[in-house]
Amino acid sequence: MYCTNQKKWQVMNNNLKVERAIQNMTQARLAEIIGVSRQTINAMELNKYVPSTVLALKISKVFDKSVNEIFFLDKGD
Amino acid sequence: MKSRFLFSHKYKPFGWILFLAGLIFGVLFLIFDFEIPALEVQVFPLFGDNGFLSGVEAFHWGGNNITDEIATLLIVVGGILVAFSKTKDEDEYISIIRMESLIWATYVNYIVLIIATLLVFNLSFFNVMIVNMFTVLVFFILRFHYVLYKSKKMAGDE
Repeated sequence: MYCTNQKKWQVMNNNLKVERAIQNMTQARLAEIIGVSRQTINAMELNKYVPSTVLALKISKVFDKSVNEIFFLDKGD
Repeated sequence: MKSRFLFSHKYKPFGWILFLAGLIFGVLFLIFDFEIPALEVQVFPLFGDNGFLSGVEAFHWGGNNITDEIATLLIVVGGILVAFSKTKDEDEYISIIRMESLIWATYVNYIVLIIATLLVFNLSFFNVMIVNMFTVLVFFILRFHYVLYKSKKMAGDE
């Protein structure tokens, strides 16, 4: 049961954009804080790039939330 | 993320100068047989060639114009520096763009070579081989910087 369900949850999604909006933070500012390029933040928000665990942990630290609250599995289209 | 095997960002402009200078000399040499007279030097060939076009004897000093050799070295060394120096903000996403561009460039390079193998013959194919020495670097540099530019522009539009 668990295994068959798992196949449906294939895409990783995130509410990075929402979290940024709450903190009133630009992509550039977030990129600067965690030391990545602005393209990386943009690509993550567009779901074009799945970050490494290290990067996900850094982001969760910035927003003071657990990784699961920012990044989560989503149903594929 | 640690990016192994990459040069520091400061080598990139230096690489561009070598690469472009090499390309200019190389193209002039290939198309117009352009040679710099001052580069006529004694060379020590490791392999001989006793064809009727030129007699080059192995392990004997002989005269040769090294314009083309210099151009080759400039393109290869400059191209490697341009291709594999870190960008100013190299990170994990840019590393992925880099890797994908390298795969893409390798495919395109060999597709071009396959087409040339089927359509170009005899001595003309020698020219294809000369150009093909550099095309994998050229394709990589073009693709990598184009995708970087595109993603930077998209991030800027936010």
